[in-house]
Amino acid sequence: MRKYWQVFRISLADRFVYRTDFLIGTFLRFAPIVTTIALWRAVYAGAGREEIGDLHYGEMVSYYLIVMISRAFGSMPGLASTLASDIRDGNLRKFIVQPLNYVIYHLHLRMAHKSVYFVMAALPYALVFYWCRSFLPGWPAGELWPLCILSLVLSFFLGFMINMAIGLLSFWFMEVTSFMFIFMVSQYFLSGHQFPLTLLPDWLERSVTLLPFAYETFFPVMMLMGKMNAAEAGQVIAGQCLWIAILSGVVAFGWRRGLRRYAAFGG
Amino acid sequence: MTSVLGRYSRILLCFARNGLVRELSFRVNFLVTVVSEILWLGMMLVFVQVIFRFTRQIDGWSNHEYLFLLGTHFLISSIFEAFFFDNLQRISAQIRTGDLDFVLLKPANTQFLLSLERISYTAIANIPLGVILCVYSFSKLDVPLTFQHVSMFLILVCSGVMTLYSLMFMFSATSVWLIRQTSASHFWFYLTSCSKYPAEIYKPMVRGVLWFALTFVFPVLIVANLPANVMVRVFEPYLVAYALFIAVGLLLFSSFVFNWAMRKYRSASS
Repeated sequence: MRKYWQVFRISLADRFVYRTDFLIGTFLRFAPIVTTIALWRAVYAGAGREEIGDLHYGEMVSYYLIVMISRAFGSMPGLASTLASDIRDGNLRKFIVQPLNYVIYHLHLRMAHKSVYFVMAALPYALVFYWCRSFLPGWPAGELWPLCILSLVLSFFLGFMINMAIGLLSFWFMEVTSFMFIFMVSQYFLSGHQFPLTLLPDWLERSVTLLPFAYETFFPVMMLMGKMNAAEAGQVIAGQCLWIAILSGVVAFGWRRGLRRYAAFGG
Repeated sequence: MTSVLGRYSRILLCFARNGLVRELSFRVNFLVTVVSEILWLGMMLVFVQVIFRFTRQIDGWSNHEYLFLLGTHFLISSIFEAFFFDNLQRISAQIRTGDLDFVLLKPANTQFLLSLERISYTAIANIPLGVILCVYSFSKLDVPLTFQHVSMFLILVCSGVMTLYSLMFMFSATSVWLIRQTSASHFWFYLTSCSKYPAEIYKPMVRGVLWFALTFVFPVLIVANLPANVMVRVFEPYLVAYALFIAVGLLLFSSFVFNWAMRKYRSASS
């Protein structure tokens, strides 16, 4: 366990190097929120109705704001492509010869990234949420608190496993970066990042929420918005656990099969 | 003068040939990238149709008018991505690693070399997608098709590309001061996520200040909105003059900013 703690610490230090860049980047990340507020105001005005897809205007804007929180947990920028390039360039060799599990190594790396991210992003997030407080629905009900936090933590693991699984495809296909773009685009929409899935026609919403992506963003966000009772929230948690279990199985299996094919290119 | 032009067009031709060779060595990649762009556009269309399930107009833009705007946006950003995006994205790395030295040493205009070295044929393949969306939505609208409209539209598309190019080029040039800044692709994402909607939606924000800033100070809103307006909504000749003025002005300004940044450039490594 000590070695993974070291991985965590080194990565932590590495992240603090580019502070200014980070702060600017975090504020920029909220820039699309401005467009969201503007666009949905126009849509609600044009539609002339109070609710669209069970959400009124303030809730719609909050949805996009809370998506940012959920993404802060679940998004894994560059994970799949790091794995892909390690496999393609033969870099993986370096890890295989060490008494270290590559997947668990990356899990710790990501936990360090996220820890730094939460510390440094806390201020910008707090400011943006403070400015937008008139839209927000208020804190989740007391008994839902633990479930909300648990569900965010689970989106971290779910996001990690989904990206790992995609990255592992590199064992079988030489050039997966373009597949990754397809995957990212699908994830962007299917997870409810682009719009709340409740806006879809019922049959489509039902089919899309069968996929793991909705458990990464859409369901946790609806929970945080207080749109669920304890029983529904429990179902979401169960669904997240189920998908994490399935995907961990896929990753473990794919990793073993992949290593057998692995040729360690480069010298 | 002609010899200068001849020299630069020969360089450009050489870049184009190199790009083609590179593209042809990754054929599957080409295909997959085109498919993913189609998917991206398709998803955007789904989003638009989802919105128009609930409303008939967004600040005066009907469904098909908005689709025309989206098509115009896609057309302009594909042209930009085809010729400039890959290049501008690499500039900050070139500055950080000191590879810029090799470009500075070459006996040709640095901005030219930096901006056009790699042509992306994949993005060129996306241009027809934008055209198809424009033609389709135009056919659904009851507006006259005249030579004047189309030529103004094309001029505005070009000036839109120039405007985008200048903004992105300036952004890349600032890497001299901000080593490892937020990557150009993120900046591009924010830019386009702002400019692909009707400009009118920003008017009620902060008492119109935001709309004013995004139209006149940091003019991303005119990029796709102006050509689409001219073609399917209102035809205002002065808008064309304004767009051209902005595009040329920004281009000159970007070159000024770049040269200024170059004075601060200190190479890296050995």
